[in-house]
Amino acid sequence: MRLLAQAGGKWRYHLLPGEADILRGLLEKFPFTAPGAAAISRTEVNLEARERETWLQESMAEHRQQLQQLAVPLLAQDRWRQTATGYQLTLDAEAREILLQILNDIRVGCWQVLGEPEDLDLPPAPPASPAEVAGRNLMDLAAYFEMALLEDRATE
Amino acid sequence: MPSTAEPVTVPEPVVERETRSASQLAPTFWVVCWNDPVNLMVYVTHVFRQIFGWDKVKAEKHMLEVHEKGKSLLVRAGLEKAEFYVHELHKYKLHATMEPAE
Repeated sequence: MRLLAQAGGKWRYHLLPGEADILRGLLEKFPFTAPGAAAISRTEVNLEARERETWLQESMAEHRQQLQQLAVPLLAQDRWRQTATGYQLTLDAEAREILLQILNDIRVGCWQVLGEPEDLDLPPAPPASPAEVAGRNLMDLAAYFEMALLEDRATE
Repeated sequence: MPSTAEPVTVPEPVVERETRSASQLAPTFWVVCWNDPVNLMVYVTHVFRQIFGWDKVKAEKHMLEVHEKGKSLLVRAGLEKAEFYVHELHKYKLHATMEPAE
């Protein structure tokens, strides 16, 4: 996946057929993990802080549901133009942010399920379960698409 | 014939003034972003620019502070604004908290 052009508040990307399949698969199956805990403070332990934390968790659960709904329009045919070498995906600023949030939810969610490993460059200790391998692969895929979305040098 | 009353001098009301620190009047909070090994550096920079409207240099400075020092104090704000920023940062899955500024 690479940035072809950015102009007028729109980003146009080129994806190989395999990349397009994987990205659409990620969007179709989102979310992959249960919502993680969200702490609002590391120092406050009073009632007000607990209430704020409850509200934060409710708000994030609601936001996640919204993201799940917003993933559907990202899959719409009119966003994906087939070309001789793959697909062109066009995103406005809002759609780009939604896609980034979905991808990072996948990445962080898998990291949490894997036990929040400190060193992500190290492979999981053998024998890795199929779930561990899948989690690692999902994290890497999400990172790959995040990096491509945030590329700021157009190639066209 | 109506009589003309003598002017009466009304004493100035005594207003009791208390001295309070700024934090007692309106508590403020630091919005803090904490380091983790999972969020990409380029992503964190992007999120700071999106949420706070910072230029790339300022956003990268705070991102590097998170990365190298374990945390960065992003902004100091009143309760509602600090809550708003923390919620926005959590939408992007950054580990952000609000801590009393005093």
